Amino acid sequence: MNALAASIESLGAKLVGWFTVGYGIFAFLARALLLLIEPATWNRATFDVVIKQVYFTAVQILHVFLGYALVISWLIISIIVTTARDFGLAEFASEMTIRVLVLELLPFLTALFIALRSGSAINTEVALMQVNNELDALAHCKVPPMQFEFLPRLIGGVISVITLAGLAGLLALAMGYLAIHGAGTAGFDSYTRTIANIFDFTIVAGLLAKCALFGLAVTLIPVTAGLETPKKLFMVPVSVLRGMMRVFFAIFAIEVVSLALKYI
Amino acid sequence: MNGMHFKVGLFALASLLLGAAFLVYLLHARGFFEDTFHLQLAAASADNVAPGVPVVFSGIEIGRVTTLGLNDNGGIVIHAEFMQRNARWLKENSSFTLDKPIVGGARIRVDSSDLDAPALPNHATMLLLSSDISKEIPVLVERVKAILANVEHLTRKDGEIVSTLANVQTMTGRMTGEYGVLEGVLGSPEKARAVTETLDKTRSLMTRLDGLALKMDGMAGKADQWLFAKDGVADSARASLRQIGVLLDDARSSLQKADALMANAVAISADVKEGTQDIAALRAEIDDAVRRANALVNEINKMWPFARDPEVKLP
Repeated sequence: MNALAASIESLGAKLVGWFTVGYGIFAFLARALLLLIEPATWNRATFDVVIKQVYFTAVQILHVFLGYALVISWLIISIIVTTARDFGLAEFASEMTIRVLVLELLPFLTALFIALRSGSAINTEVALMQVNNELDALAHCKVPPMQFEFLPRLIGGVISVITLAGLAGLLALAMGYLAIHGAGTAGFDSYTRTIANIFDFTIVAGLLAKCALFGLAVTLIPVTAGLETPKKLFMVPVSVLRGMMRVFFAIFAIEVVSLALKYI
Repeated sequence: MNGMHFKVGLFALASLLLGAAFLVYLLHARGFFEDTFHLQLAAASADNVAPGVPVVFSGIEIGRVTTLGLNDNGGIVIHAEFMQRNARWLKENSSFTLDKPIVGGARIRVDSSDLDAPALPNHATMLLLSSDISKEIPVLVERVKAILANVEHLTRKDGEIVSTLANVQTMTGRMTGEYGVLEGVLGSPEKARAVTETLDKTRSLMTRLDGLALKMDGMAGKADQWLFAKDGVADSARASLRQIGVLLDDARSSLQKADALMANAVAISADVKEGTQDIAALRAEIDDAVRRANALVNEINKMWPFARDPEVKLP
């Protein structure tokens, strides 16, 4: 009886913990959004930090990322096209390729890529700043951390995921055309028709929204996880671990919800 | 730091340009820059038709169904939209068929047999035909059911086929008897035996007829000998012919004599006018001689075995 009560209690504690974390994340997001619509936020300094953030998150890794997208796209396109031909469904190969790669897999992989590279770094940085009381010092010097540290990271993350996923998607479209129709303009009309059929307004809007949510998830969650860190140095790895697990669950949840909205 | 700004600027510019180019391409692909062509299809039933069903021409999608509804008379009206560049495949003599393959989604097939025909006007109404294979399946199943019912009726316990098979069985049973197939066909061993006996008798009759034929053969040989042997009938006939030739020569000399007599008579008649009575008697005599010669010739002709006269032909 005690064990049951204890397990119920621990479940309740976990639920409360998740709720607190969720509330913290959304409250932080609300504050960031409120700040975003304030004209005072948009000064040269903030803009510079945003550019720096985009540079570190997207531009610095562009060649690595595009190479990785090229390889994964080529592999998956080859598999889909060969299988479709084997089953006599070649006419559906291009649609299948575009749907699988451009709409689902590449945004997801982009989000994971940025989460692993930038999200973990942001989480560690924020946690260390928190532990070393740097954030309080910044606030004391009239440099509000929300405006100059956190908001640029969120904006940079969103921009980076959207552009990188878009570039990877365009690359995959080109590769798909090459794999299915070869070099030449013969298949251009039918490929255009397929693209036109797939990318209607809701799909494009959904894709953009999904990428933006991915971008938010891979920056917002590490920031809040870092801010939660108790002021002890050994808690920094724990904070990064927790933050990255939450990022992974968030990306996963966004993907599942987007699929459910699209196909159910 | 400036290098970083340049890279970020370049990245942003390239991304924006690519994004904008893709957007323009997408809008072009979706027909944003051209007019939409509307078509209405009248159908008997809206089965399998739904918004989004493609309209295909030669297997290539040229438009889609947008809405469907009922008109005032309760008929089905299907609205389809085409891009202007695809509308040129729609002609006034085009036929629209709803295809529902067993595997895959339904689609509306456009067949334009004559591409030189005048183009369909916008908002035209055409008839939608149906070539639904899955609709034919229930009909097919009904017919197969009827056939199966017939087969069942034929093969029921007291049915014709069962009794026929029973008859066949008794027949084959008889066939295994002493007289085999004969017994099977005739029904009892007695009748079969009668037939066998008849056959036996026929066989002995045939043997006798064979002997008779042999004898006839011998007789024919003898007749041959009799006819064509030395001093046979043929030889004596040849001798008779020779004699007839002599007789004919005699007759001809008699006629020549008569001729001479006639010449003398003419000379005499010139000299002696009063001797007319005698000449008449002489003439009668000559006539008589000629008649006899004629009769003789006739007689010979009758006897002649190779005469050409059909009336004296031998049988």
